[in-house]
Amino acid sequence: MTIAIAFGDLVKSYGKFNAVDHLSAEVQQGRITGFLGPNGAGKSTTLRCLVGLADPSSGSAEIFGKKYRDLDNPLSRVGTVLDSRGFHGALSGKANLKVVAAAAGIPDARVDEVLQMVELTEAADRKMKKYSLGMKQRLALAGAILGDPEVLILDEPANGLDPAGIAWLRKFLRSLASGGRTILVSSHQLAEMQNTVDDVLIINKGRLIAEGPKEQVMGGDTLEEAFLKLTGGALS
Amino acid sequence: MSLLKSEWRKLIYVRAHWGLLIAAVLLSALGTGVTPLILENSRETFGFGLDQQQAVDSVYANAISGYIFAIIIGIMLMAGEFRHGTAVATFLTAPKRGTVLANKLGMAAIAGILVMVISTGAGIIAGLVGMSFYPDAAEPSSEIFLNTMVAAVVSGAVLGIIGVALGTLIRNQMLAIVGALIYLFVIDPILLLLWPDAGKFLPSGLITGMMALDINSPELGFDTSNYLPALSATLVLLGYGVVFAATAIATSLRRDVE
Ligand SMILES: Nc1ncnc2c1ncn2[C@@H]1O[C@H](COP(=O)(O)OP(=O)(O)OP(=O)(O)O)[C@@H](O)[C@H]1O
Ligand SMILES: [Mg+2]
Repeated sequence: MTIAIAFGDLVKSYGKFNAVDHLSAEVQQGRITGFLGPNGAGKSTTLRCLVGLADPSSGSAEIFGKKYRDLDNPLSRVGTVLDSRGFHGALSGKANLKVVAAAAGIPDARVDEVLQMVELTEAADRKMKKYSLGMKQRLALAGAILGDPEVLILDEPANGLDPAGIAWLRKFLRSLASGGRTILVSSHQLAEMQNTVDDVLIINKGRLIAEGPKEQVMGGDTLEEAFLKLTGGALS
Repeated sequence: MSLLKSEWRKLIYVRAHWGLLIAAVLLSALGTGVTPLILENSRETFGFGLDQQQAVDSVYANAISGYIFAIIIGIMLMAGEFRHGTAVATFLTAPKRGTVLANKLGMAAIAGILVMVISTGAGIIAGLVGMSFYPDAAEPSSEIFLNTMVAAVVSGAVLGIIGVALGTLIRNQMLAIVGALIYLFVIDPILLLLWPDAGKFLPSGLITGMMALDINSPELGFDTSNYLPALSATLVLLGYGVVFAATAIATSLRRDVE
């Protein structure tokens, strides 16, 4: 199997505090990997280091053996949804995507295409700040697939989605993955993750505590039970 | 090219930028349009009236007064990315931050030129209208319109660049804009009073010098021959921009993006 994403002894510290603490882990190509951990475990920080928005204090975070910053035209290889979404409230959803499309050399027709894929066509011309939380999340997903990337990095994409939205997201991720894409997705919705992911990667207090195929990590329990055992059942 | 196109879209999609253009046009047109009236009614204060060419020239030179908006647009192009959080999408799409900054500086120069050419043009037209009420006034000097437009183009580009540099250094948009305004309209004039000789090297003195005017009003303590020649003033001002931008690249541009 090919390794799509690799963390090598990654450390990100804020002052004396290590938000990510010597994390080494791998994400296999063509699989959906659930990135799990209690609040404050360091998931978002790890992902922000991976895509070059935060500088690692030491160690490495690489995609296809390269730093994100060294990928040429990264949007065509990696699509990202972070907790901070990166869109301008005063612009329409469509205008926001057109700004990104222009920068990545992606034709405007693709903007309409992805808006349709996330079922936002009707709201495309409304100001982003007037979107509901779920609509903002869909817009962020549209931005992530704009360049038809082979890797998706999603930080809590289910956040703010209603049950129908979560079901929609599950189908959406599966259809993306069935095309051979690699998806690294963080979430707190463990029952949902158990249905969606192939592999899991669990961290706590910035450290790796479990990694591997879902069945192996679960060991007969549900994902939630396994997670609570591994993390001591407490929030860090 | 693609980054420049993206920056162009950021410029024209945000309505506030159009608001700034309109404000620049209004400021320049109103300011220039009423200057003949003010000059004619306060001959004693200024020491000259519209029967003198330098007075008429100074009317048209006022058309350049929208320059503060070129700086503000530059600031907004950069600091706005942090204010609205779009820096995340921008740097995900183009992770090489220096390249993003270079394109932003380029687009800010274009934006500054557009704002200045349009507002200065409007100001000159308003000046012509204002002057039409004074048929006995002196003729403007032959180069004044060309000089003013050249100054508009150059100052627009330079000030747009300085704006981006400021916005990169001070990520907080409000702080950067208010800081620039306070500096230009409060601190700079005070420094000018304290050290008249150094004044020509300060931004507003450089902007004045850049316009290559020829005005002497001892009553106002204003004599353009005290300022640097246009070319040197432009270069010094660009030098400020380079220093700001370099500091920004070395410091704030390296910082993590939230
Ligand atoms: N910019 C920052 N400055 C200081 N501390 C930070 C910063 N960003 C994150 N942290 C700290 O790093 C730790 C990890 O935060 P992070 O957001 O990565 O957690 P997370 O696993 O994504 O949590 P959640 O599930 O709540 O999203 C937290 O203790 C947080 O307070
Ligand atoms: Mg998080």
